Amino acid sequence: MSRKALAPAIVTIVILAIVVITVMLPLALTTQDPVGVLETFLFGPFRNLRYLGNIVEMATPTMLCGLAVALMFRSGMFNLGVEGAFYLGGLGTVAAALLLPMPWWAAAPVALAAGAVIGSTVCVLPGVMRAHFDTSELVTSLMLNFVALFVGLFVLNYFLRDPAAGAMASYKIPLEAQLPRIVPGTRIHLGTVLALLACIGGAIYLFRTAGGFEARLVGSNPSFAAHLGLPLRRVMVRSAALGGLIAAFAGGIEMLGLYTRFSWQALPGTGWVGVTVAILARDNPLLLIPSALFLAYLQVGGDLVGRNFDVPIEGVGLINALVLLIATAAAIIRNPMLLRLVSGERSAGLTKSLPKAEAH
Amino acid sequence: MDASSVAEFVAVALRVSTPLTLAALGVLISTRAGVLNIGIEGMMLAGAFAGVVVSAFTGSALLGLAAAILIGAALGALLATAVHVAKADLILSGIAINIAAAAGTTLLLFLITGSKGVSSSLPSKTLPTIDIPLLGDLPLVGMAVSGHHILTYTAFLAAPLVALFLTRTPVGIRLRAVGEKPEAAAAAGVNVRRYQFWALAASGAFGGVAGAFLSMGYVSWFGQNMTAGRGFIALAAEVMGGGSALGTMLSAVVLGTAETISITMQGGGLPSELVQTVPYIVPILALLVHAMRRRRIARKSAA
Repeated sequence: MSRKALAPAIVTIVILAIVVITVMLPLALTTQDPVGVLETFLFGPFRNLRYLGNIVEMATPTMLCGLAVALMFRSGMFNLGVEGAFYLGGLGTVAAALLLPMPWWAAAPVALAAGAVIGSTVCVLPGVMRAHFDTSELVTSLMLNFVALFVGLFVLNYFLRDPAAGAMASYKIPLEAQLPRIVPGTRIHLGTVLALLACIGGAIYLFRTAGGFEARLVGSNPSFAAHLGLPLRRVMVRSAALGGLIAAFAGGIEMLGLYTRFSWQALPGTGWVGVTVAILARDNPLLLIPSALFLAYLQVGGDLVGRNFDVPIEGVGLINALVLLIATAAAIIRNPMLLRLVSGERSAGLTKSLPKAEAH
Repeated sequence: MDASSVAEFVAVALRVSTPLTLAALGVLISTRAGVLNIGIEGMMLAGAFAGVVVSAFTGSALLGLAAAILIGAALGALLATAVHVAKADLILSGIAINIAAAAGTTLLLFLITGSKGVSSSLPSKTLPTIDIPLLGDLPLVGMAVSGHHILTYTAFLAAPLVALFLTRTPVGIRLRAVGEKPEAAAAAGVNVRRYQFWALAASGAFGGVAGAFLSMGYVSWFGQNMTAGRGFIALAAEVMGGGSALGTMLSAVVLGTAETISITMQGGGLPSELVQTVPYIVPILALLVHAMRRRRIARKSAA
């Protein structure tokens, strides 16, 4: 590939590096050992197989949440119910695994399916309300996230709580429902494979099927789509349902893959990371994979720093916020001067007409 | 329910409605200028934090309030700059501000106090309450409307002032023109960007005051994510308010009353988790009813 085609990616990477340094450097300087902090943050995650595994484990749910966000944003819906859907999906999956009597081989699939359907309501309700009553899906989904949290806490406290567990936590998830670990020495589980397949499937759906084409058309130009006679409402509800199912499924595989009990007392924030993942990936399902891995790498670095130094891991949250802000900042990411600088062109006007002087 | 408990209920409802009213008025100002301030939640949180920290270190509640206003306005200005100068997406930048405020306040709280949860180790100040002369001496009415926090009165006085500003002053009318038809406003010589910049800054300042009320009045400490979605509820209140300041205030009071009912219900034997959903379900239902009514009116006028 030529340097020109890669220029936007290079600009993005350079800016990400600047963001990371702007946040981490002052934080590191508040400690006794700033060099150690930075070293741990940047290189710690690569130090052994377990940490590398942590990156993949953390990227798994955020990749799926990113996919959910990307599918909904692509169809023009600012539905932010992913956070609540992820939470309720995790809870619904654990509830189904604990309460439904099932043969061993059906435990995980049935629990995941039940959790996905239950959790998806957090995205579907705002989608349906938007499609049929034109209420702002943005506001309703933000509100429903809190409803999901408290309903989840209610179910946990009244139906799933193990009195012997000490803290507020569910009964142990049955062993047969837990997802198998697939890489020895790490906690990487089957869910990672499912997440990767989902991203590929999402790309095929968006770019190679009629349904995905409709969704993108409705998202990019709703009045044109309406003029063509596309069923706007159905497309909106379908996108919300897909997004909700995927985000809730992410919560389910997170629970069955990594946890032994459900004990989330607050919204875990994974859905919000998913928003950043999606935006960084430009709502492109295939780019979700590197994007989620990158943010997970920062998270693991932050965790390591938090564990070994007196630096709170919330610094990573600040990085996420800045990445989200800058990733959409067209003036920075698509700055013609920066792009030209990177691609090594002297002037935008001349290069098109002139043949390439040197090969790269 | 006897008369005195009614009076007490009204008093609590006014207190609970205060941050919603302030924040919703902030949302209104920016929305009328054509820029939706999703970041109001984060601006409230930052204001709550700044109020506690600055009042603890200066010993002055007033300086704490000033800091809350400043940080809110600064975040509003940052949002405007991100959108206008860096060409970032308005909604996503607002979300970024919320994420940054949640992470940033927790981070700073830990660096200052060594705790990630609450600021109770800081000797922060609270703003005073005001007894209304004469009215406050009346038996039940006094109990309901007198002796409130200074920012509660500020909130309910701010609503008519914002209404006057938006409908009766040249600046307010131009601000609405910017929101209604930016091209036309620009053609008439109005600097659209500058109006949106100051609208977002003002919106953030209102958010900052709302936050200061939470941490320097409602309670006297800062807690992690203590705004708990009140900024989002304020967004709903603004939508229900139909674009007018008084309507926005009334909607905020309706939603605040719903929250008050849920607070008073909490001792009543119902599972507290379910009761806690009320302040979030009511705005959703209210938006639904609002949208259905709007649709019916639109259909009637079309027929």
